[in-house]
Amino acid sequence: MHAIRASVALVAAAAAVLTAACAPSATPVTTGGSAAPAAAGEKTVLTLGSWRTEDLAMWEDEILPAFEKSHPDIDVKFAATNTNEYNAAIQSQVDGGTGPDLITCRPYDVNRSWIKKGYFEKLDGKPMLEAFEPLALDPWSDDAGSRYCLPTAAVLAGFYYNKDIFAELGLQVPTTQDEFLAVLKKIKDNGKYTPLAVGSSESWQLAYNGLYSIGPVYWKGEEGRQGLIKGTKKVTDPDFQKAFDAFAAWKPYLPKGFESLKYPDMTQLFTLGKAAILPDGSWNINQVAVDGLNVGVFGPPTDVPGGDRYLQEMPDMAIGISAASKNKAAAEEFLAWTATPEFLELYVNKLPGFFSMAKQPVTYTNPLAQAFADLKNGAKLTPRLGLDRLSAGTPPFDDEVWRVLQLMLNEDLSTQKATEELQKGLASWYTPQQ
Amino acid sequence: MNRAHYRYFLVFTLPALAVYVVFAALPLVNSIWYSLYDTDSGVARFVGLENYVYLFTNPTTSERFWNALTNNLEFFAIHLVVEVPLGLLLAALLTSGRLRRSTGLYRTLLFIPTTLSVVIVGFVWRLIINPLWGLVDFPLLGDERTALPTISLMSVWQYVGIPMIFLYAALLAVPNDVLEAARVEGSGAWSTFWRVKFPLIAPQFGLIAILTYIWTFNGFDLVFALNGSAPGPNYSTDILGTLFYRTFFGSSGQLSDLDLGATVASVIFLIILVVTAAYFGLLHRRLRSYEL
Repeated sequence: MHAIRASVALVAAAAAVLTAACAPSATPVTTGGSAAPAAAGEKTVLTLGSWRTEDLAMWEDEILPAFEKSHPDIDVKFAATNTNEYNAAIQSQVDGGTGPDLITCRPYDVNRSWIKKGYFEKLDGKPMLEAFEPLALDPWSDDAGSRYCLPTAAVLAGFYYNKDIFAELGLQVPTTQDEFLAVLKKIKDNGKYTPLAVGSSESWQLAYNGLYSIGPVYWKGEEGRQGLIKGTKKVTDPDFQKAFDAFAAWKPYLPKGFESLKYPDMTQLFTLGKAAILPDGSWNINQVAVDGLNVGVFGPPTDVPGGDRYLQEMPDMAIGISAASKNKAAAEEFLAWTATPEFLELYVNKLPGFFSMAKQPVTYTNPLAQAFADLKNGAKLTPRLGLDRLSAGTPPFDDEVWRVLQLMLNEDLSTQKATEELQKGLASWYTPQQ
Repeated sequence: MNRAHYRYFLVFTLPALAVYVVFAALPLVNSIWYSLYDTDSGVARFVGLENYVYLFTNPTTSERFWNALTNNLEFFAIHLVVEVPLGLLLAALLTSGRLRRSTGLYRTLLFIPTTLSVVIVGFVWRLIINPLWGLVDFPLLGDERTALPTISLMSVWQYVGIPMIFLYAALLAVPNDVLEAARVEGSGAWSTFWRVKFPLIAPQFGLIAILTYIWTFNGFDLVFALNGSAPGPNYSTDILGTLFYRTFFGSSGQLSDLDLGATVASVIFLIILVVTAAYFGLLHRRLRSYEL
């Protein structure tokens, strides 16, 4: 604990030192904003807080230079914190008055609590919002519908499959749940390959790549999700039970010792050509295709032939302007730029697996990314079930879903018991469900 | 000793004291201070012990807390029962003279894992016991009954060098004339160890036991490296350190709660403080140290 406490202190200290170091090096704050042409050599310095430390090089070398080329009077600095510590770091920075000018926004509840604390500048009425559908803006809005962050990227979830194995065994890409199970059974009966590369050691992906991907077809996407949020539906309703049943049906097709297999083990099993299908998120595109594997992707199966297709589109990040920023005009200029095709195309093609949420379609240079993007056509989009409002109390619904899904695979917890436990947990604090 | 000497003492300890106060004592006091406030609404509001009441009365948080505490006790017990005696055994063997010239080699080999990063230790062991690519068919880390003992034993493997080197140093300090006297009196190796050597190092043995308590209740890194901040399956490997981390920093589906995190941290501090104080107050002074 001392180590943690010390590291908290260090993070805070480092952040304080960093921002303190930035301030004097920055030229005097341009009070009129950068709309007024700045004198030569005088630049407004903006900091962009983010949790994606791994993207530092991409921002510094590719994206920010492209912005600064057209906006020579603004200098944007990418300031990333470790993913796990980002929320706490931003909270202590903003509360301490040293936060970044531009804050990367977590979706839903975390952001809602930040909005409530007054971290963001309101974006209502700004023309840049028009590049997005309301559904894309909702994750970053308050209860009254005011907008605070501009969507940057979303991630999708589906099924990667090994085309060579499918050809070898004479399999067709399944479109319905029955076909899906028939394909799994054929692969298992053949005995040469593991049908599904799924391990239950990391329970988050059982929810994100499993239930939240195959479930929306049963709870009808937004209809079921909003029903839970409004309290008109319960987790114990037949629609949700059917989704949990569909998840439990995976169990016979998992690899040996799946209880202790981690996410990288699953990816490895698939990329080594030992497993036929990998339920996974779009963010893993680079890893699954890394060995030159012949990979395709298909979406979650439908309930009945010709039935509605659903796809999980999870808003991942957005950017907002800090209410405490001294350079709001420049920050707004940068934000407006992130809604342009110039930025979006640069961004999604530098980071395959992330998808633009803007109305205007974007071309993806990565073929697998394009295949993923094509799944969106004609499908009903819905975000992850548990993250919007339902996890803002104790116990958080999302964490509980992870736990019961793991128990369903490891210890054969029944759908009935699993959904009852979830409903009980939700009803213990979430008013609309009481 | 005159007054000038005391002034020197003060001057020389001041740098260390300053570092200690700024980086250890102040954050500690600060975090206890935090635990008495509610900052969720954006404004700090003094709430007294409300956070503590919430931690122990909310069905979910209290269940997680007691679960983490029980797991932590098991984590400590395994270290106490396996690591400390094993360290004593290794130290006894190293000083027994039977290894002759290879003493240094063994001492180094046994101490090396201690210097490795937990991330490496966790990664290597996870591969060794991986049911797909490893040596063990059974999913040791995926079963609620075996997951925590498995992680504890990995930690024992890594850190057994610490009690070993500690007790080894103590055993080396046992004067030869005492041992010679024992030999002359006809005492064998077994009785010499338990009747002469061990009583002489008993205070150090007690110290290493209480240090093990402190380390295991501050434990976090290996569990986090292996299982993340919501350590499964079904929270069976959740210890106080990971519970704190999850509460303070939040997880994917859980909001970060700084006040409740500070509360958990303060409770952990208290658990360690009470037992350590009791040990030094009641037990340690009874372990006689012999002037030789």
